[in-house]
Amino acid sequence: MIELAHLQILSAGLFAIGTYGVLARRSAVLILMSIELMLNAVNINLVGYAAFVDFDEATRSFGQVLVIFVITIAAAELALAIAIILRLYRNRSTVNVDEIDLMKW
Amino acid sequence: MTTHDIYLLSPEISMAGLAILLILVDLVVSRKSILTIVAVLGLAVPLALSIVLWFDLTDQAATQMKADFGTEIVTFVVDKFSLFFKFLLVGATALVILASSEYVSKFKNFHGEFFALILFATSGMMLLASTVELITIYVSLELTALPIAALAAFMRDSRSSEAGLKFLILSAISSAVLLYGMVIIYGFTGTTVLADIATQLGGLLDGESAFGGNALLFGVILVIAGFGFKISSVPFQMWAPDVYEGSPTPVTAFLSVASKAAGFAVILRVFYIAFSAEILSVDWSAVFAVLAAVSMTFGNLVAIRQNNIKRMLGYSTIAHAGYLMVGLAAVASRTPDADAIIGPSGVLFYLSGYAITNLAAFSAVIAISNRINSDLIDSFAGMARRAPFLAGVLGFSMISLIGVPPTVGFMSKIYIFGAAVDTNLEWLAVTGMVNSVISAYYYLRVVKVMYLREPIDDAPVGSALPMKLAVMVTMAGTAFFGIYPTPLINLARSAVDVLVS
Amino acid sequence: MLDDYFRQYALLAIFAAFAVAVPTGMLLMSWMLSIMKIRPQKPSLIKQAIYECGFETLSGRWSQFNFRFYAFALIFVVFDVEVVFLFPWAASFGVMSATFGAFVLLEMVVFVGILVVGWLYAWRKGALEWS
Repeated sequence: MIELAHLQILSAGLFAIGTYGVLARRSAVLILMSIELMLNAVNINLVGYAAFVDFDEATRSFGQVLVIFVITIAAAELALAIAIILRLYRNRSTVNVDEIDLMKW
Repeated sequence: MTTHDIYLLSPEISMAGLAILLILVDLVVSRKSILTIVAVLGLAVPLALSIVLWFDLTDQAATQMKADFGTEIVTFVVDKFSLFFKFLLVGATALVILASSEYVSKFKNFHGEFFALILFATSGMMLLASTVELITIYVSLELTALPIAALAAFMRDSRSSEAGLKFLILSAISSAVLLYGMVIIYGFTGTTVLADIATQLGGLLDGESAFGGNALLFGVILVIAGFGFKISSVPFQMWAPDVYEGSPTPVTAFLSVASKAAGFAVILRVFYIAFSAEILSVDWSAVFAVLAAVSMTFGNLVAIRQNNIKRMLGYSTIAHAGYLMVGLAAVASRTPDADAIIGPSGVLFYLSGYAITNLAAFSAVIAISNRINSDLIDSFAGMARRAPFLAGVLGFSMISLIGVPPTVGFMSKIYIFGAAVDTNLEWLAVTGMVNSVISAYYYLRVVKVMYLREPIDDAPVGSALPMKLAVMVTMAGTAFFGIYPTPLINLARSAVDVLVS
Repeated sequence: MLDDYFRQYALLAIFAAFAVAVPTGMLLMSWMLSIMKIRPQKPSLIKQAIYECGFETLSGRWSQFNFRFYAFALIFVVFDVEVVFLFPWAASFGVMSATFGAFVLLEMVVFVGILVVGWLYAWRKGALEWS
């Protein structure tokens, strides 16, 4: 059977992979994808809590509501980030964060 | 949702409405200078509504007006604490818009968007000061972060884009971390409403391990990390200097004042309401005390080496985040007979003093560097002769940032270090004073360059009327509250009453 | 109870086994036939070319997209994701409007109104034109 612990382990694993990606990747686009991974790890955790923990009706919905907000805000964040990356690419012809160093990173 | 709920939300709604109005006006008018006037005059509406709410609150002799939107889950409150921040935020936004009236000519056809983004961010910050529920806190945090990222990248050159990208990526990481912490707290307590979290925690803490349980330890630390980014405290400070240097200067001013104020508002709210249990507050106050000491030391030491005035102010803002966190560390539960509100009221008083001072400094920097087209401290040489008034204001605000009388910086430092002494944190107060002395070195360097060096160029540096207005208002505030701070202190003390009762 | 649960996975396993068996079987058969000299093997340039809907191939796999696709994609993504708010609203409309009346409708009018302002902005700024 799937239990809350499984979801939590999956979520923690995804979050760790995302964090690794953010720290290790050099392409701005891949960093963004890693951030998406971190946010989705949070979503899995939320859905897990909402589904398995013995909350009452009102508080159970909190987790699910937060998931919707996280998804939409992540999309907005991504759209803005891609726009800025495109601008940066036109200015500097690179999306490698090691080379984006006009000011020390 | 009732009409009363909308009435409570009206300052935020009118702020967002003003932003949308500006976008629409920008689409139809061709004379862009109208937009500055519309923006500044329009800010009177949220300000007026906040004042109405304040008097309504006093009339009812109530501490809070709660909005539950019909769900019996209180997500939004209007109290003196939130209104204090709304006044501060609307005032700071008005001054930033005034100060950028000349600067926006660099943006060619994007005046409306610039002001609209600032106002959207402000509406998010105002929400942040009022909300008492984790989901709303997350949404309003993002509502402040996304427009600021767009604003930081507004200049279309590579420096500005780089600043925007750095801010956005690091802010996204920090909010993911914050969310993870929130989710753990939600899973632990089964609710996202701050007051209910406090009640639930009452029965769950074991009183032996740190933070009363491992899950909560993890959750609270992640939340501190997430918020630490917003207020640029060490070790989450790495974005601040770069973003400050690369962003358009008015955005830097906005970021250093309004964004920081909103961050402290939400930290006070979360920690004083949700984690107010005594065994918890002793633990997180220790975390904040250490972060405070490290932040101020790091910020001041690195600021000494900077040549760019915006970057220097970026490091100085990290140091000031450190001073402000002294107020967070000074919780009443450390000493049984201490004044319960001295810590949080110190944060509010210091924040407003810092806001006025920093806006004065930034208005002067915007006015000067916009004309001479340089942010380097060396290019300010001999500014006392080229622009005596602006140089005077900049010098005066530097003195206030060090914390020398007769300025508001001095008063707020005395108050917040006094709070530390009252709660048995003498070592932190001493660290703060030593740091103030260190900071004198780089602040006074600016004064020295302006007054003692020969000017590079003899042409006088003028400034436009709105610019002069912003500079004068902030300068007057810095001096007035430095001589007579009592009204501001009383306001701050009455505002934080609601947190500790 | 537990058996029922794992039976669902058994179905999945059978499906996966088929999915793997069919293509590998085909390849294996083709290889066997060529060993047994039943299948002729006469490679030529045309036979080994990349198959692209029957047309002659135009370029390599890593082609660059026009910059404008991104701009359109950004606008699309933002508006598309906002729809996620419409579903819970529509699903709970009946229950909510019983208690809150016209406010529920008004809320969505305001929400869509804000989206329309965004769309108007994109339109007036020329973001929807391909030129």
